[in-house]
Amino acid sequence: MSDVTTETPNVTVSPAKFSFVEFDADEIATLVSELAAMLEIANPIRVIVDETTPLAKLSEELDGTGPEATITLHAESGALEDRQHPMSFSVTNASESFGRILLRAHDRLRPDFTDAPEDLDLTLEENAAWDTYCAGRLARLGIRVNQQRWRYNHRNRFGFDDSVDVAFDALWAADDLGWADVVATARG
Amino acid sequence: MRQFFPVEDLARDERFVQTNMAERMKDGRTAIELKESSAKSRGASKRLTPERHDASDAARGLMHGIMVGEIQALEGAGRTAHDFAAGDGTNDTVPFELKLDMARQAWDEARHVEISAKLSDWMGTELGEFAENTVLFEAACSNDPILRLAGVNRALEGLAIDVFTQMKEFGDIAGDPYLEFCEDWMLADEVTHVKMGSDWLRKVTANDPDRRNKALEFQQVVDKLFSFGGARGESPESSFTLAKRFRELAGFTDDEVKTISEMDAEALAERRAAVLRYREKVGADAPA
Repeated sequence: MSDVTTETPNVTVSPAKFSFVEFDADEIATLVSELAAMLEIANPIRVIVDETTPLAKLSEELDGTGPEATITLHAESGALEDRQHPMSFSVTNASESFGRILLRAHDRLRPDFTDAPEDLDLTLEENAAWDTYCAGRLARLGIRVNQQRWRYNHRNRFGFDDSVDVAFDALWAADDLGWADVVATARG
Repeated sequence: MRQFFPVEDLARDERFVQTNMAERMKDGRTAIELKESSAKSRGASKRLTPERHDASDAARGLMHGIMVGEIQALEGAGRTAHDFAAGDGTNDTVPFELKLDMARQAWDEARHVEISAKLSDWMGTELGEFAENTVLFEAACSNDPILRLAGVNRALEGLAIDVFTQMKEFGDIAGDPYLEFCEDWMLADEVTHVKMGSDWLRKVTANDPDRRNKALEFQQVVDKLFSFGGARGESPESSFTLAKRFRELAGFTDDEVKTISEMDAEALAERRAAVLRYREKVGADAPA
């Protein structure tokens, strides 16, 4: 199955044609291009959607740390769909999902993130902390994000008490952190 | 006031979007493992526990399903309290005490809707965020009140026992005091609702074995539907298990629990076969 390539900043989407869901590869490529431009990411981007599962796991990987490094975004279809109309694409949900992992990719290009484990090697707590840090920044960029959803996710990993909420608020409001700072802020 | 309300006429505001089982079955995607999972796959078990990588989102989705299920259970119990005249249980009548039990259940369900809506808010879910499957109310649309008891009080409320037990455990392990406490209280009500269904079904059909068999057969059909393709079951592929102990307290016999458990396994196998057929049709491989 061939990929779809956009005319603007080198984004490819696989598969080019969807069989299980009503997604459009061109629409995804355009959305990711716009998000990348907003986040000032100029690297080539590959998007791989697993349309065979309704789950919503996301991950990103880079084949280097320079401006030429290719960013690969993996998304299960549930992360991009309209939850009221399953199998249909939701620009709102896809913007949040892709925005989050693009921010992670952006972080991974920084020298102070070289010690961050690969996505699938992150602990559940590390994963939640990074999600909080990304979701807060996305919200400030104008992407629609439900803060309470991420607060609940954070509490599930770190505990249901006031000190955890204080750490969540600090991470949510933070910018320009290194990986060690993300982990330390989450631990309070 | 109108009697025998069809599922299409359920009143909802603009926040809600409804779907049904036929629509849901058109979705050829599945979270079921069709072949050995990869070693790096995080959270291979589908059981809804905090260890799942997507635990909080999965819990949010299930909580929303519970909330709309409570709305439909309220509507179902309310309809049964209203749709049939008081009598001796024959000729489309129901004993007056059965109507009282349905009214009490409607009151409980109304409280559950409020609790579930507040829990959804607590978990970061907007009302109507997920599609509402109306399959639960469909079990309450029979013209025979005894079939409604089998479909709603035993199958639907039995499902509620299973789901609430799983969510209570989720809250306990995650350390979420509100979720654990609220699910525990609602679970206690659901056990009572199932017990009411079990008791009335036996009492009203005491001299009518054909009617009782018909109701129990209907319950089996509904139970299999409520397995949601194996979402309930003993397999690690299932999100939640059959809460055997609470079902026993609610009046299910060991044989009935065993039958439901076997139907859950059948539903999972059928779902897996249907997905493989769909993939063959569209020419897609199983995920790597």
